[in-house]
Amino acid sequence: MKRKVLFLSVFLLAAAGMVLPALPCHASDGEILIGHPACLSGSYAKAGEQAVGGIQAILDWVNNTRGGIAVEGRKASLVYKYYDCESKKESVTSLLERLITSDKVHFTFAPYSSGLTLAGAPIAEKYGMIYMDHGGASDKIFQQGFEYVVQTIGPGSLYHAGTLEMVKAIDPSAKKVALAYADDEFARSVMKGAEERAAELGFEIVFNRTYPAKVTDLTPLLSDLKASNPDVIIGGGHFEDGQLLNRQLADLGIQPKLLSLIAAATLPAFGEALGDLAEGVMGPSHWEYGVTFSEKGAKKLGKMWIGPNQEEFVALFKKAVGKDMIPDYHAAEAGAAVLALVLAVEKADSLDPDDVREALGDLEFMSFYGGWNIDETGKQVGHSMVDVQWQKGQRVIVWPVAAQTGKPLYPKPDFK
Amino acid sequence: MRGSGKYLPIVPVLAAYALLLLYGLAAPGKWQLVAQLAFYCALGQAFNLFMGMTGYVDFGYVAFLGVGTYGMAVTISSLSDGGLGLGIILIGFLAAAVFSTILAMAVGAVALRLRGAYFAIATIGVNEGFRYLIEGARIWNGADGIIFSRHLKTALGRKMAMTVSTFWADIFVFGVAVLAAVLTLYYLRNKVGYALLALREDEDAAKVMGIDVTRYKIIAFITSAALAGLLGASGWALKLTYVYPPDVFEIHYTVEAIIIVLLGGAGTLMGPIAGGLIYGVSKYFLAITLPGFQLLIFAPIIIAIIVIFPEGLVGILKGKVHGTSLEKFVI
Amino acid sequence: MFFEQLSGNLVQGLILGSVYGMATMGLSLIFGVLQVVNVGHGAFIMVGAFTALILFQSLGVPPILAIPVALLIGMCLGMIFYYGAVKPLVSPSGAGIRKVGRRQLGKAAGVFVAVMIAMRILSGVLDLNIAFSIFIAIILMYAFLVYVYGGRRQEKGPELATLLVTFSLGVILEEVVKQIFTSEARGYNWDLGKLDLGFTVLPFTKILASGGSLTVAVLLYLWFNKTRAGMAMRSVVEDSVGARVCGVNVDWQYALSFSLGIGLTVTSGVLLTMFIPVGINPYMGGGYTLKAFVIAVLGGLASPYGAFFGGVVFGLLENGSYTLLAALPGGEPFALTRFFSFVMLLVILLIRPTGLLRRKG
Repeated sequence: MKRKVLFLSVFLLAAAGMVLPALPCHASDGEILIGHPACLSGSYAKAGEQAVGGIQAILDWVNNTRGGIAVEGRKASLVYKYYDCESKKESVTSLLERLITSDKVHFTFAPYSSGLTLAGAPIAEKYGMIYMDHGGASDKIFQQGFEYVVQTIGPGSLYHAGTLEMVKAIDPSAKKVALAYADDEFARSVMKGAEERAAELGFEIVFNRTYPAKVTDLTPLLSDLKASNPDVIIGGGHFEDGQLLNRQLADLGIQPKLLSLIAAATLPAFGEALGDLAEGVMGPSHWEYGVTFSEKGAKKLGKMWIGPNQEEFVALFKKAVGKDMIPDYHAAEAGAAVLALVLAVEKADSLDPDDVREALGDLEFMSFYGGWNIDETGKQVGHSMVDVQWQKGQRVIVWPVAAQTGKPLYPKPDFK
Repeated sequence: MRGSGKYLPIVPVLAAYALLLLYGLAAPGKWQLVAQLAFYCALGQAFNLFMGMTGYVDFGYVAFLGVGTYGMAVTISSLSDGGLGLGIILIGFLAAAVFSTILAMAVGAVALRLRGAYFAIATIGVNEGFRYLIEGARIWNGADGIIFSRHLKTALGRKMAMTVSTFWADIFVFGVAVLAAVLTLYYLRNKVGYALLALREDEDAAKVMGIDVTRYKIIAFITSAALAGLLGASGWALKLTYVYPPDVFEIHYTVEAIIIVLLGGAGTLMGPIAGGLIYGVSKYFLAITLPGFQLLIFAPIIIAIIVIFPEGLVGILKGKVHGTSLEKFVI
Repeated sequence: MFFEQLSGNLVQGLILGSVYGMATMGLSLIFGVLQVVNVGHGAFIMVGAFTALILFQSLGVPPILAIPVALLIGMCLGMIFYYGAVKPLVSPSGAGIRKVGRRQLGKAAGVFVAVMIAMRILSGVLDLNIAFSIFIAIILMYAFLVYVYGGRRQEKGPELATLLVTFSLGVILEEVVKQIFTSEARGYNWDLGKLDLGFTVLPFTKILASGGSLTVAVLLYLWFNKTRAGMAMRSVVEDSVGARVCGVNVDWQYALSFSLGIGLTVTSGVLLTMFIPVGINPYMGGGYTLKAFVIAVLGGLASPYGAFFGGVVFGLLENGSYTLLAALPGGEPFALTRFFSFVMLLVILLIRPTGLLRRKG
């Protein structure tokens, strides 16, 4: 009997130890809470891990380097509270509501991807809570009449504008463009933008086909593409299929003058996975290690500057994730969203969501991430993208000229 | 069990849903959690209606939720300017039920001739095939999906649209759960149930005895599918106001339905509620306490429960109340 | 042009199909012997892919030599998982756990707490994650229950239970691999040159992958037909009661075939990466699971060689139909090839539920 009681009490203690962290944490007076139903497992785990790291890195900077946020006559520090939504739509709503009602956060962040961002939007709107969209690139989110959704990532339709301009500037004889991309909303909106841009610039689209997301073999599609003999291949969708596309182009001996892949090619893992085959492959990126945005540059343009410089951000990011990992644009855009909130709160001198939303609407600033400015629907319009290229195992920014860290390698060297 | 006591088991079921609903209404800021739990319960309840009674595992079950979601989405996005007001939701539910019923009849005609693993794999084929048909033939906007938050606002007005998404959609989910439970009990206590019980024990023997097995199978199959359609229309379409094909035709949800039903006890009436609550609550707390690690913890727990208690929670309960006055409340 | 593309695709499809076929043999073997559908199939392929990747990247072992390692890893995993989780549900000699009441659960809870405390103390030294500690504690608690109270029980667990158990085993593998290697998509670059056929190009690694698959299939065939152990296993597939009467240890055959099935699946992961050496990540298996189901049915579900044959047919169909569907106006041919292959699946199930190769007897 005694043993039973002992066991039971120890077990209860252990159970309590597990449940205690689940109790709601309320903000003390000097704290501003940011809540985030992040994607730490499931299909968006990769981007979600980056986003959480990026937010933590900027939090560290705001609290420790900047000394907090001046609001309503006091200095407040930022606190970050995140849960894992498993990249599942039905978990987003309940976790988001918990953050808003139990944890009483002041601002919320959306999970990654357009779909999950949309899943949480009705809840955020219901509670009149600012909802920072850092990973939902769809233009359609901002045609739905949401009032509290604020985008930091640039809209999908602009991804390849720079790439095509670069080809036109360097090699006017290259005319034939092939598009091969994942059949999902994001890649489709990117490629629709690319198609329109290509038409404006006088390119000819010789191939335009999709493949199902999560594909494992692209050979039939690429044999078809090979027959159209394109100068430029634009494509991709996510991480795995981008690697696959590049690899199988090489396997089939298709040699375009330029290959640009969305999402996949901008990540360090891409070069590691493909080795020499990545040489010369490009990708449009919202932000890249090596971009040259600086406080001085911002001053020249007459824009407000906030935040760490790039090196500081990378160091803070590594500290936050506890690994020697270079942040990619998912981290940068999530971090930049925090900076936007910081400025808006100070400008509004209030934590009231409506005041802050108004301040965000008027806000325009620069940071390590680049420009930030939203239109009246909350859509990001102030951020421009860069094009990166793999050169000798490094990612080099090759376009636009103003942001270059190296000359473009054109035509790209043939696959061996 | 004849006469007045026939439908007594519905009492604890209704009580459980009422309590859950009351908790959601009374506890501030817990509504979405309650809604998520109700969704799991309804999913299990609707799935169990067919699976529990027949023993057939419809792995492609999520396809019915998917077409139901599309039924609502297509209705709202195309009729939003019609000035139908709240009637649009009614039409949406109708469309959802019709879509899923049609699909169920098509699938039933083909797949219900198969048994065991062959049936399970054929239904996976239906789900995946249907998804790729939508994407490949660009039906209903193909992979671009339908985002209709704006249309819902046009049809109902901003305020009402928001209340529908964040409150009424969840009430409808409760409705589907209760409807599924009532229908399950009704079938169990009538010819359908007796015939299917005979089928589950030995399909060939049932056929020899002259029971029109196929007919009852199809009745249960279509009922279960139509409920799934309604669930998709409320829990996914109205609530989230968008639909992408890979998000709704996702086999993972069928697996969730199986987990829920098995945790509670397959073929029981209370099982899906018990399973849904256990599954939903543990998932929620693990997501909060150990974000990023919850599946690592959850998967061995599921194995442990299934290996140690294969008859499920309600199965154990049934054993406990056997021979007591409570017996007639639990099935 | 059209025929050049079609023949190119068919050759590619043949090569890929043989790898797909090999990747399905394990699934069919397990179903044939235990009547268990391994829903976690893809996760085991993923383990094989990581085996090839890690051996190549850190030790420079060419992937073709990773095959025996993968087989070994797979068979060990298979044994552990069989005795740990599958046996209590399917064992022919009485399954399940005798009785678990309040007392047993109390003791198990004691084990859990003791392990947790031990892990917490250890974590001071080894910097262990709390989630990892809980994971280990749950596993040990479970092992305690199964081993101390495991034994005979009359009824088998419901068939459904095995689906969930294999699914959960897959999830555990995915999550463990994710914790160790993160969810980054990886790849390796093993270059042996290419064979240019004019209408298509085949890297030698792909040919090697296909040859490897064929070799494994032939070896399996020989083992089944020429060795005593293989014939004993085959006898269980054909008639498990008869086999028992003839003195075959059916329990052991169950364990062996589950373990061999998983071994084959992990091996196929290695061969698949030789065909497609990129995009290796913890969640890569999902697509292969669904494909394997279709292929297994094409081949008759319970027959490993049928599965190999089904894989070849599937590869030819999927790649070949693209060229035909692309000739149609409108639509997205690649997605339609998928639709096409699932329609084929239904048709075959209806007209010939035992698969394309009719089994004897």
